[in-house]
Amino acid sequence: MKIVIIGASAAGISAAKTIKASEPDTEVVIIAKEDRVHSRCMLHKFLGHQRDAQGISFIADDFFESSGISWLNNTTVIGLDAQNKTVKTHDNQDISYDKLLIASGASYFIPPIPGLRESKNVYGFRDLKDAQLLDRECNTAKDAVVIGAGLVGMDAAVALLERGLKVTVIEMTAAVMSLQLDQKSADAYQQLFEEHGAAFILADKVVSVDVDAVGRGRTIHLASGKAVAADLIVIAAGVRPAFNFTEGSGIATNHAILVGDDLKTNIDDIYAAGDVTGMAGIWPNAMKQGRIAAINMLGEKLLYQDRYALKNTINFFGLTTLSLGNINPQPEEKCQILIREDRNNYQKLVIKNGVVEGVIFQGNIGGSGFWQYLIKNKIDLSAKNKDLFSLSYADFYDQDPATGEYRYAV
Amino acid sequence: MNSNFSCQTCASADQKLETFISKLSVETSHHRMEGQSVKCGFGLQGICCRLCSNGPCRITPDGPKGVCGATADTIVARNFLRAVSAGSGCYIHIVENTALMLKKTAASKGVLKGKLALAKLAEIFAVEEADEHVRAEKIADMVLADLYKPDYVKMELVEKMAYKPRFDRWKELGILPGGAKSEVFAGVVKTSTNLNSDPVDMYLNCLKLGISTGLYGLTLTNLLNDVMLGEPSIRLAPVGLRVIDSDYINIMITGHQHSIFAYLQDRLIQDDVIKKAAAVGAKGFKLVGCTCVGQDLQLRGQHYQEVFNGHAGNNFTSEAILATGAIDAVLSEFNCTLPGIEPICEELKIKQICLDDVSKKANAEMMPFVFEEKESQSNDIIDAVIAAYQARRGVVALNIDGDHGNDDTLTGVSEGSLKSFLGGTWKPLIDLIVAGEIKGIAGVVGCSSLTAGGHDVLTVNLVKELIAKDILVLSAGCSSGGLENVGLMSPSAASQAGPKLRAVCESLGIPPVLNFGPCLAIGRLELVATELAEAIGVDLPQLPLVLSAPQWLEEQALADGAFGLALGLPLHLGLPPFVTGSPVAVQVFTQDMLNLTGGQLIIDDNAKSAAASLDAIIEKKRKELNI
Amino acid sequence: MKRIIIDREKCDGCLNCNIACISAHQEGSNFYTVDLQDPDAQARNFIKYDPQKGYLPLFCRHCDQAECVLSCISGALEKDPLTGHVQYDENKCAACYMCVMNCPYGVLKPDNKSRTKLIKCDFCDDKPDDPSCVKACPKKAIAVKEVSL
Repeated sequence: MKIVIIGASAAGISAAKTIKASEPDTEVVIIAKEDRVHSRCMLHKFLGHQRDAQGISFIADDFFESSGISWLNNTTVIGLDAQNKTVKTHDNQDISYDKLLIASGASYFIPPIPGLRESKNVYGFRDLKDAQLLDRECNTAKDAVVIGAGLVGMDAAVALLERGLKVTVIEMTAAVMSLQLDQKSADAYQQLFEEHGAAFILADKVVSVDVDAVGRGRTIHLASGKAVAADLIVIAAGVRPAFNFTEGSGIATNHAILVGDDLKTNIDDIYAAGDVTGMAGIWPNAMKQGRIAAINMLGEKLLYQDRYALKNTINFFGLTTLSLGNINPQPEEKCQILIREDRNNYQKLVIKNGVVEGVIFQGNIGGSGFWQYLIKNKIDLSAKNKDLFSLSYADFYDQDPATGEYRYAV
Repeated sequence: MNSNFSCQTCASADQKLETFISKLSVETSHHRMEGQSVKCGFGLQGICCRLCSNGPCRITPDGPKGVCGATADTIVARNFLRAVSAGSGCYIHIVENTALMLKKTAASKGVLKGKLALAKLAEIFAVEEADEHVRAEKIADMVLADLYKPDYVKMELVEKMAYKPRFDRWKELGILPGGAKSEVFAGVVKTSTNLNSDPVDMYLNCLKLGISTGLYGLTLTNLLNDVMLGEPSIRLAPVGLRVIDSDYINIMITGHQHSIFAYLQDRLIQDDVIKKAAAVGAKGFKLVGCTCVGQDLQLRGQHYQEVFNGHAGNNFTSEAILATGAIDAVLSEFNCTLPGIEPICEELKIKQICLDDVSKKANAEMMPFVFEEKESQSNDIIDAVIAAYQARRGVVALNIDGDHGNDDTLTGVSEGSLKSFLGGTWKPLIDLIVAGEIKGIAGVVGCSSLTAGGHDVLTVNLVKELIAKDILVLSAGCSSGGLENVGLMSPSAASQAGPKLRAVCESLGIPPVLNFGPCLAIGRLELVATELAEAIGVDLPQLPLVLSAPQWLEEQALADGAFGLALGLPLHLGLPPFVTGSPVAVQVFTQDMLNLTGGQLIIDDNAKSAAASLDAIIEKKRKELNI
Repeated sequence: MKRIIIDREKCDGCLNCNIACISAHQEGSNFYTVDLQDPDAQARNFIKYDPQKGYLPLFCRHCDQAECVLSCISGALEKDPLTGHVQYDENKCAACYMCVMNCPYGVLKPDNKSRTKLIKCDFCDDKPDDPSCVKACPKKAIAVKEVSL
């Protein structure tokens, strides 16, 4: 059997690994538009010059050779013929498959703001090519503007600070990383970034960009009337699943490729995993989807059920944070909010009817992995007659006597 | 299947003993080592505190201080001072009883066998009474008076006993001890909950306890005992399990208070008692030496040839001695009386009698020694032992390894007997040291333990290394029990010494390892060292003399060690005394002590490298003395 | 694969496994010399206490389906195909701590001092015999056993 995988990030690589681990004889072809496999979560390490391109790879150096996987890099898929089971590449190859996994990820999105799309010095921060282009700009640029203070924007900002640029971050909401943090925990990061030289303009909006004679955006105008000078602009305003090549193939989409719990599309033998499905959101889930899709392509039946994606960890300047679930509940949700703080820690639990809905642990996050289980499985803690902050996996301790693996006693 | 208790016993330097024990059908300490082989790291480092109900607190990365705020340095220092206090208390108990015994013996005009010792003490104490009993009583009173002083009144005999340069240094450091019993009290108070937290103050306190322990608990106990029981004299004697003669009613003695047996040991060889023994089929009574009191009897064995069979073994040989089946009773008055002997005595129907409640064993009969009732008590003991003999002999199997030990261990070495052996002067020894025929002296002392390689393993290996480097070894304590049983105290052991020491030993007919007897005799080593220093005209830290307690076991050993450090001597220990969790403790013991007293702690459980370190120190001191 | 099997009834909470683990990861140290006050001294195992259940030893399971491996963005965490143990490569790690978040049993933790690496059991695979914690347990509450995947 021949399996073709489009995309070589978390989902694609995880799928390829899974296939080769269980059925080494299956032919696997990975087609990717990138030059080399890299972890997009580590792009800031590349741009910040802490690591080179090899250093942000997340596979072994000899991954393709040792696992016998065909690797078509710098290759963009431009068409899909589901009838004849082939994909067409930009260099006009028709590559046949028995099963196809679409793990083509997502692309960054430039909002339609006058001057922004036109500017030649506007970059996303999505893959290695973006980082390489930014790297070149950093050699001459002095003022950098990052639009969007989400995780990607902050990643870019930290790398640009590392490179000695003056960095201004512009954000629509009132706090940085507002999807992951509450005001207090966001303030801690903002302060750290400011201590390292960054400036923040929050609760403001870019309305236009002045483009100079050579086509570079130079001045960014904000709704408040402020103007910010820029030598380079990073846009971090979100991504869109990337599946243009499926047009006309009959694959059902709705801003993303639609899949069932088995990660199969509406067409037999075609599966999708990762950001392109619009339901991954985060690396670990993309990895898991890749694995499950692979297992199903090999004929097993495994369902993607561990869908919980409202989770993240943040580590800037050595300040670590775990963020899970609903961390900024609205008053009408009538959640109970528990806060605990000390010199080095800020901890917040959002509880509703005895069930944890959200967690922020800023500072020491050691041993906090069990909280995700409690949230996604909606474990009722009302019977736990103890300070919820002192919970640990030990409160749910149980072992499988046969294998010695842990399991949950709930 | 055989009847062996367990196939896993620990190693012993004494191969024959190791084999003997491995085949026993009773459980010994050697069997229990395996079950205790995993040690608590907090305990080893001394960083567990159980002083209050907030505890036990342990110093961990997540808990760098106890609940009260005590740091590792404070916890270690408190634990250590507590241990030294307890150890000091043990020795002070011994000297107190010994002084009381001398006082009562003198008052009742009893026999005083050690005329020379009495004269010597009278001279040191400046007692000029002509009548020997009055003189002895006065001496005992002076010792007791010092012991009973409060801690804020300095003991008077310290200055008389101590070498002047040492006394002056101690005075400078403010570590002259008050009343020895009160000092133990002070050490205990200081280390209680939320009291002293200054590690340096506590370590200085340890030195103070070291001085009272050493001069009184060790040195004076020996000398007072010598007055009552006679001075040691050099002779060859049998040692090991072979000394046990099943034709006799055998009593194993354990403890440290020889004078408690003074009356009994003479009584056992009186005709009426021998007749009693004969009536039940025995040739008579014999005392079988074990632990330090056995060493004491061996040391003075010249005076007790008839009743004393010889020294069978040290503390961790006691269970094996009982397991021979030929011991009919155990008389205990102090440590090292292992709890492990109880089930063996039970099983082998061995009568256990305790003469001092500090060593009361769970299944022993308590017969607290009362001087005034010693005649009737001795008769009671004799009857009880005879009854045990009758009940058990023929019922309990005998298992004596007649091949264990040897017949030619040189014993009876003391500051007095050694000096007279040398012709009444230290000059021959000093000349040999100056000439380099003897490179230096190592006092290898203290206990026996089952750690650091096994029973006596480090002690024996270290001694072999030292003598090979032409260093003369003097031993006192259970260490000598091990060294004698492996033959290192036999004249033939000279062949294991370096060429120069070997030649010296062979010309004098002595072994390269001299047996001073019990741990109490560490005090005798101090007298030898002091007399040598005096003869040369230097202070103790300048002598090419080192101390080692390779297999120190217990709190008493730590108090001894504190004495060694107060004397300004380099002290080697095989295993750390539960202090390594404190950077301050390590600094004080291994570095700062050199400036305080001249002493220094060396921790090393490797015989080769430890011997090399001690050798280097001796070489350095020789160089500084230009010899 | 070999796994540390826990008999929690036997655990007395002595924390010797902690010391052994710290010592095993502190170059050249032993039980006497291991520096427990070093900020880098961190055990990879934990003993929790519950008044009802007693001591609860938390040791990395090197899970069959290791969530930490699936969450790793850098390839620093990999399941060794031969030993089955999840091994960690500090040089690859980007210290994102997705693994800490994803370990269902809360066994993983960032390093205390720099927050640049992960503290995780390596099964003492670089040392002979059993893992150091197992050898140090006086109660034999933990033991290495072969389990099938």
